[in-house]
Amino acid sequence: MSNINGKVYAMNAITPMKPWKTWILRLIFFVLGHVKSLQQDLINLSFIEFARWVVVPRGGFPQLGNGQEPEKLTYDYLLFFSNFNGTWNQYIDAFSAVLFKGLDLIWKWSEKFPGSVPVTIFKEYIGRVQFDTDYYFTAYPHATANDLKAAHSVQASFDDLRSRAANLSGPEFADAYLNFVLQVQPYLGETGEAPVVF
Amino acid sequence: MPNNSGKVYGLTILSPIINDDRATPSHDLQIRSYLAGLSTGQDSPFALAPGTHLARLVVMDDVVFVGAPAVEEHLNSKYLIFESNCDAGPDGSIDGYLNGLAEHAAEHLDAIWSHCVGYPGAADRAAFIRYMKACQLETTFFFAAINDKSVPETLRALQTQRAVADFIESHQGVEPEKLRAEFLKLVSALDAAPLPTVASAIVSRDIKIGGRNE
Repeated sequence: MSNINGKVYAMNAITPMKPWKTWILRLIFFVLGHVKSLQQDLINLSFIEFARWVVVPRGGFPQLGNGQEPEKLTYDYLLFFSNFNGTWNQYIDAFSAVLFKGLDLIWKWSEKFPGSVPVTIFKEYIGRVQFDTDYYFTAYPHATANDLKAAHSVQASFDDLRSRAANLSGPEFADAYLNFVLQVQPYLGETGEAPVVF
Repeated sequence: MPNNSGKVYGLTILSPIINDDRATPSHDLQIRSYLAGLSTGQDSPFALAPGTHLARLVVMDDVVFVGAPAVEEHLNSKYLIFESNCDAGPDGSIDGYLNGLAEHAAEHLDAIWSHCVGYPGAADRAAFIRYMKACQLETTFFFAAINDKSVPETLRALQTQRAVADFIESHQGVEPEKLRAEFLKLVSALDAAPLPTVASAIVSRDIKIGGRNE
C-alpha cells in the first residue's frame, strides 16, 4: 500500500451527502466545467496533475447480479480522487489558503463538513474521510505537473527552431538560437528523485 | 462528456468484490496481497499497456461514518476502485484503452479482477470491455492540468527537455556555423532515439540541486 509514487500523491476521499443536495452540487460542477475562468485558481496552483469528483447516487453503485446483494443506502456519496505533487500537509494547506471558497462550495453539501478554514479542523475531517491507495502507477514518476508543462514548452520551442534551422545561414541561426535559449531557459529544470521530506 | 478533458479520459470503475465467507483469505485481501507485490515500474500492467498517465487501484472496504447526527450505514459489498487518467481514443472513447489493457496485461487483470463479481476474464475482449463499462461510473467533474498531450508526447517532451538542457550547457560560445551543424545533429539524434520507457528510472546527472526541501 502506498499513496505515493515518485513525486505524486494519490488521495482518495469519500463523503456522504443527502440525496437532494447532490443536485445542487451537480449544477455547481456543470457551471465549473463550462466556465473555465472559475478553474483558474486550480490551474494556477499547478501541483495537481489530475483530479476528479464523482457523485455516486445511493442506488448508483454497480450492481452485477451473480449473488451480489444490492446496496441499501441513505446517502449519495461524493468520491474525490487527486493526483498532486508535494506532501499531504502542503496540499491541504494550499487548498485551504487559496481555494477555500471553491472547496466550501463543493463540500458544504457533505455531512458534517466543517469548512476549509480554519485548516486544523479541515485536516481532521479530511483525515476521517480519506482512505488509502493500494496500488499507484505513474508513467513519469520523476516529473511534477510543472516539469511536464515546462517540458512541453521546451518541445514547442524546439520544434519551431528545428523547422527553420536548415534554411538559416550561420549568423541567422545564431540569432534564432539565442531567442530559443531565452524562450526555454525558465523551463530547463532538472527532473529526478523526489526530495526527502524531513 | 464529463469523463473527457481534451485528449485525456477520466476512467472511474467500481467493481464489486466477491463476498464469500468460505474464501480464505477473503477476496479483498487476496486483491490487496497481489497489489502489494505488483510492480509500479516498467513491468507494471499499466506500463505494458499503452496510454496510462496515472492510475490507481484501491480496495474500498466501506463508506465512511462522519459522526452523529449523520446516519451510520455500511456497504453490502466491498469495491475495487480503478481510477485511471489515460489517453482517449480519437473519438473520445475508452474502448481502445481497455482493449490495450486486455491485450498487454491480461494475466495481471485476471489475477486482480477474478476476485470481483461477474468478471468474465480478459481473453474475451468484448466481454471484458462490456464488464468494465458495466462497472464504470460517470466522472462528475474531471480536471487535467495538461489535457492535450498523450503519454508518448509527454515522454518525448521530457526527453527533449533533458537533451536541450545538456546541449545549451555544452555549446556556450560556439561559432554560429558549428552551432547550427551541432543543433541539426541533435535534431537527428533525437529523431533516431527510441521513445523513453514508461515509468523508467532516470539516470541522474552531475548537477548540483537544492538541499533540504519541505
